[in-house]
Amino acid sequence: MLKTPDWELMIVLYFFLGGIAGGAYFTAAIADNFGSARDRRTATVGYLLSLPLVAACGLLLVADLGVPLRFLNMMRVFKFSDPMSAGAWALGVFGLFSFVSSVLSLSSSETALAWRRRVGLVGMFFGFFLASYTGVLLSNTALPLWSQSRLMGALFLASAASTGMAAVSLILFIMGGEGLGKVKRADRYSMLIEIVVLAAFLALLGSAAQPIVRGQFATLFWVGLVGVGLLIPLLLDLVGHRVKPLGALAALLVLTGGFVLRYVVLMSIQA
Amino acid sequence: MARTLAMFTDTSLCIGCRACQVACKQWNELGMEVPEWTGTYQNHEHFSDKTFRLVRFIEEPKPNGDLAWLLMSDVCKHCAQAGCLDACPTGAIYRTEFGTVNINQNTCNGCRYCVSSCPFGVVSFNHDTGTAKKCTFCDDRIHNGLGPACAKACPTESIQFGFRDELMTKAQKRVETLKAMGFKEAQLYGADQNGFLGGLNAFFLLLSKPGTYNLPVDPKLPQRNVMVDSLLSIGSAVLVGLGALLAFRERGRNGGDHA
Repeated sequence: MLKTPDWELMIVLYFFLGGIAGGAYFTAAIADNFGSARDRRTATVGYLLSLPLVAACGLLLVADLGVPLRFLNMMRVFKFSDPMSAGAWALGVFGLFSFVSSVLSLSSSETALAWRRRVGLVGMFFGFFLASYTGVLLSNTALPLWSQSRLMGALFLASAASTGMAAVSLILFIMGGEGLGKVKRADRYSMLIEIVVLAAFLALLGSAAQPIVRGQFATLFWVGLVGVGLLIPLLLDLVGHRVKPLGALAALLVLTGGFVLRYVVLMSIQA
Repeated sequence: MARTLAMFTDTSLCIGCRACQVACKQWNELGMEVPEWTGTYQNHEHFSDKTFRLVRFIEEPKPNGDLAWLLMSDVCKHCAQAGCLDACPTGAIYRTEFGTVNINQNTCNGCRYCVSSCPFGVVSFNHDTGTAKKCTFCDDRIHNGLGPACAKACPTESIQFGFRDELMTKAQKRVETLKAMGFKEAQLYGADQNGFLGGLNAFFLLLSKPGTYNLPVDPKLPQRNVMVDSLLSIGSAVLVGLGALLAFRERGRNGGDHA
């Protein structure tokens, strides 16, 4: 009897890229403010990665509307307690921070870097917001799979962190690998948190989890997310954290898992 | 706000003629849909962007093996606490001075959040206009004192439209009468303003349990937990942030800086 909103591939992609953008940004801000001077490059990568992603996010969101030109109508209203409204605004504000941080990253002057740290410290809160509000958005609908655990936002945030860090680590790997170790370690922590949150998520959902743990999406969920996306990369990191190509492979798997999570959550009850 | 207007659907009087369904289609100029076999006389199966009024045909097995034929003309409930209205990020969904809930078609941008926020599966997306659609209680008619088309067309007064307080009194009397006649399960659904969703402005008299009519027994406002969800997300953010902090602060050990 309940109706689904038909948020399909464009929104899956938006949730995925928005998560990476937010995760990469707050990782960059933490590396920038609390890491050593050698982590500055990691921060630069994270900031610069978030900018094209957040631009893509905006385009995806607008393109998915029934009347795309009316996206401006979201800017006539601000409803703090409405995830859709607050999220639209936060995406815009985050884009602004991402832009400023990216511009500051292009300069190597100490003043610019000092400003970059300060901007990042504030901007990272919007990064966290972008990474999690999509989950809160889903959990405030009438649909049981999305709403009956209270942890969809927490789960999306942990996944955004792990995918954002994986994306940054992949770029660092391609650039030669300097600074990779700390990002990988942060990624491991995020994945561990994600596993715990995912387990609690499933436990709280109980029978409402049926669409993802049983039926045609179950294989994708158990193999694609739990196996390929979480357990195998953790194992790879454990065994081969000194072998950089293995770390890169793990990062690719984490990214795959992040996509699968959002795909399964959205499509299983809408397909 | 003016006195709240409401619709009382007494399913015990419904004969399943579907005059309401047709009147709704005609007055609101809703296009046709290809009928589908639903296994009963009911058509269509669900509300849609072109079906705002829908007569449900339900066959309920009785203890003696017979089937009770339950008929129910269903419609948007115009909830006092409306999930669709709370979800709308553009302000397109609004409450009128009569207490009804409408979608401004010139403002809606088709984000479809309201579609997933309706506890009854009423709000529907129209691909032609790119906007969300639902029953308005015939907004144009009620602003001109005519009453909704469905209520006007109903030949048995199963659908009654009027002031909410007056309809409530009527409805309660009718339940008593039916109970005295032996309809033990006769009950009101959504009438209580202290009950779920602050009461429905389209409420019903049912002859069986709400579940029999595929109505949710205790529908909840989808947005009731937004603070809890946000706090748990913040908790997750703190953990993840601390993890990153730990990773970036540690130096030299286990392949830190030089890795």
